[in-house]
Amino acid sequence: MKKSNHKNISCEEALKRVFDYIDDHIQNTSRDEFEYHIELCRHCFDRVEFEKLLKSRLQALRYKRSSEWLRERVEDIIAEF
Amino acid sequence: MKLTSEEQRQLKDRVLPLLDDLHRLAYHLCHDENDTEDLVAETIKKACEKFRTLRDHGKIKPWLFRILRNTFVSLCRERKKYATIKYQEDNENEDERFSLFAEVSQPFLLWWGNPERELVNKLLEEDIKQALSEIQPEFRFVVVLCDVEGLSYREISNILDIPIGTVRSRIARGRSMLQRKLYDHAVEKGLIRKRDRHYEKI
Ligand SMILES: [Zn+2]
Repeated sequence: MKKSNHKNISCEEALKRVFDYIDDHIQNTSRDEFEYHIELCRHCFDRVEFEKLLKSRLQALRYKRSSEWLRERVEDIIAEF
Repeated sequence: MKLTSEEQRQLKDRVLPLLDDLHRLAYHLCHDENDTEDLVAETIKKACEKFRTLRDHGKIKPWLFRILRNTFVSLCRERKKYATIKYQEDNENEDERFSLFAEVSQPFLLWWGNPERELVNKLLEEDIKQALSEIQPEFRFVVVLCDVEGLSYREISNILDIPIGTVRSRIARGRSMLQRKLYDHAVEKGLIRKRDRHYEKI
């Protein structure tokens, strides 16, 4: 459980920090305040879970094919220059 | 100007280890094998032309990514195959951003059911790729770097040579566009029903 001496930010304020939070672009007090808020607020908690889920679906698109087949073409281009 | 054989070797030694990264990024932008290969090839040609202007060889990765992005944007213009580039960054309004969550969630369901998460789980990989390919290239680029490639705002800012604040707002706008496309697809496929600003599960 978080220290309860954080001020409880408004949902409006929390909303502005959702992307920073899921992208790990939030630190210290700002992060603590946000985490404290989503512990208390179901709506903002759901919003975070939703954005995280969507982000994970995008992450799963990460292409795995090796570029070995392109290597030759690239080597040729460089050699021609 | 032709590169010396020493320069060719330097370029090759630095480019080849990054080929997987370039290839992946190009693929995420094009979603088409032929276009991907062309984009990487064109990027390498430009890198050869500009190689002498690269002062710090340690920064070749963001440099190449930047070339790839510029090449992609101009290919988009030429081929008109991908969405055309429109900048509305300056007059963007945070309130006008689209949120799939806001459209789909049903707060009155209380502790059971998460229609918004169910919807995201129901979407096929193809739906997401399709939606991604339909958003403006500049925004697609940042969303791909952030969400698919998992880069930080700072890394993206280095690649695009724009302030972190701009990266942040571009990601937010890109996601808003993506979510609107996903919403439209979901309505089209009958996964959700459009009704005023709410929806009914089918
Ligand atoms: Zn809240």
